[in-house]
Parts: sequence; structure tokens; C-alpha cells
Amino acid sequence: MPRKISWLAGGFLMALLILFTFSIFGADRPIGASTYVPYFAGLLFNLDPQKYEYMAEIEKAGAWEGVMLIGAFFGALFMSVFVTKTFRFSVVPTLWRERKNGSVLSRLTWSFIAGFVMIIGARLAGGCTSGHFLSGASQIAVSGLIFGGVTMTTVIITGRVFYKKRGENGR
Amino acid sequence: MVDRFLHMFEVAATQGHGSIATILFIGFIFGAVIQWARVDKFEKIAGFAMLEDMTVPKMLFFAIGLASIGLYFMIEAGYAHYHVKPILLGGLVIGAILFGIAMAIFGKCPGTGPVSIAEGRVDVLVGAIGGIFGGLLFTYAYPWFKPIMGPDYKKATLPSIFEGHESVVILIYGAALILISFLIPDIEYLDAEDEERRADI
Repeated sequence: MPRKISWLAGGFLMALLILFTFSIFGADRPIGASTYVPYFAGLLFNLDPQKYEYMAEIEKAGAWEGVMLIGAFFGALFMSVFVTKTFRFSVVPTLWRERKNGSVLSRLTWSFIAGFVMIIGARLAGGCTSGHFLSGASQIAVSGLIFGGVTMTTVIITGRVFYKKRGENGR
Repeated sequence: MVDRFLHMFEVAATQGHGSIATILFIGFIFGAVIQWARVDKFEKIAGFAMLEDMTVPKMLFFAIGLASIGLYFMIEAGYAHYHVKPILLGGLVIGAILFGIAMAIFGKCPGTGPVSIAEGRVDVLVGAIGGIFGGLLFTYAYPWFKPIMGPDYKKATLPSIFEGHESVVILIYGAALILISFLIPDIEYLDAEDEERRADI
């Protein structure tokens, strides 16, 4: 098996997976991957769905995505060990070191903050890259298109503001 | 906690959206495809933010374009249903802005996070812990968040606005996205630490 696939092969396989998940032979539902985070938080901190409205609201979707993401973890573990052979422990990504800094503390602090903000954002919007983008935009849902447009614009603006310019670090 | 973890499987299996095996299979393929295409990497998502790597938008646009056409025919044939999310405009816009900022800095999204953790990325594990606390805060503060999420413009799809011309709109939309996916420049940041090369297929 090839150690890596292109955007074209990856996009093709992802489209097939979206169609299978939507189909009555699969799950008859869209793919989603952000509801499981507050759901897992609820499990870890033992939040009672009868006391917290949001826990009750995400009970079903959270459980479904929780199981799916366990599958995703093992799918990725399998590929990284046996096919792409990219499994290795690392802390500071190469491009972060090149365009931001080489500090472990800086990367971990920013990761924590960004992870925190990301889930608040996804839950406010009611979906993430999977729910709004892959699933929402595939149905040409107006909500998915709004989310996609605003997210892509913000990503590029943040990329310009947050990181150093190319070559500034002596590339 | 173990009880509730096992309860999760029970809830997932009994909601009419596939057996545990089906859901795990969907997840397994989801994680495997993302890892195989390497789009879980910081260099791919944050690389898009810095315009150093276009793999993610190319793959997203192609997948969505293809799936939108396929999904239309499957729904027409009765093999699938629409599951459209409502337009809660305040939540959508504020949420998408926060999400976009976080995505550019973290270099992950909630779906690619677990994939990155599975390949040994410690920074992403720390970010996931941040995410758990974000989820916790959201659950606690939901009654206060709720008012800013509205107004609710209900569920709508673009084709439903052009009544009577749905199939034309969907075909144009799908074809346009596929075309865009090919037009986006094919640039890639190859991570030397991963001995990354361009893919053959």
C-alpha cells in the first residue's frame, strides 16, 4: 500500500464515506465530530443530564460520535503504525518552529487555549468541519455554507496575524 | 464513570443510526483516510492558514462536490435523507469566528484531533484537554450562551430556495466545487521531520 495518498484520492474516499454514512445501509445520519467533546466532558465530570439541559440535548448525538471517534482513533493508529509509518512522539510541529517559535511551553499553552476556544466555537455554531463542512455543505445547507465561508476567512486572517512572515526566521 | 462509558455504547446502538460495528467502521475509515492523506498534520491545516499548503481545501472541496451530487441521487432514489442543521445566525457567525481563530493556531479540528493524538502528537493531547474544559464550560454556561445563538432562520438548503430547479442547482454546485478543487494551486509543505514526500496516487 502507498505510504501516502493525494488530496484527490483522499477526497474521493471521504466522499464515499459521507455517502455511506448518510445512506440507510450505513447510519442514516450525517458525520459529526464535535458534540462528542462536551459529551466526554460530561462523562469525565459525571454531569447529570437531568440537571444540565445541554447534556440532555446531546445525549444521543454525543454517544454516537463518541463511539465513532473511538473508531477514528484506532483507524489512525493502525495507519500511522502499519501504512504511513509516521507514528512518533512529538511536541512542537515543524512549521510552528519555523513560523512561530521553538518553545515547548509556548506550543502547549497555545494548544490548550486553542482547543478550549475551538470547542466553544464549534458548540456555539452547532457543528465543526465534519458537521457543517463535510456533511452540511454536501447537502448545500445554508448553515453549512455560512459556517464554511466565515471559518475559511477567519483561518486565513489569523494565519497572517498570528504567525511570522515567511523567511522572517531565516528559512 | 465506567458505567456511563458503557451506557454510551448502549445509547449509540439503540438510536436507529447503525449498529456499534457500523459506527466503529465509519470511524475507523474516517480516521484512516485522514491519516493516510496526512491532513491531520499541523502543517496541513495551519499551513493552509499561512497559505503554505493547499491540501486541505483541495480535498474538502473535491469531497463535498462529489458527495453533494451523489447524495442528491441517493435521496431521490430513497436511499438517504436530508439532515439539515438550522440557521442559528448569531451562534453560527460568532462560533465560526472563534472556530477559525482556534483552527489556525491549533492546526487541528475536532475530527482530526484524535487522529493526531493516535500518531503521537503530545501538543494535540494537551489541546484536547483544553477542549474538554471548553465543553465543560459550554455545558455549565449553556443557559447564558443560548440567547446569543439566535435568531433561528430555520432549516434551509440553497436548492430549496430555487424551487423547481433543484437538480440544476445541485449539479452546478457540485461541478463548481470539483472544478475549484482542481483550480486551487497544488502546493504542499513537505515536513522534513516526517520524511514526507508527495503522494503518487
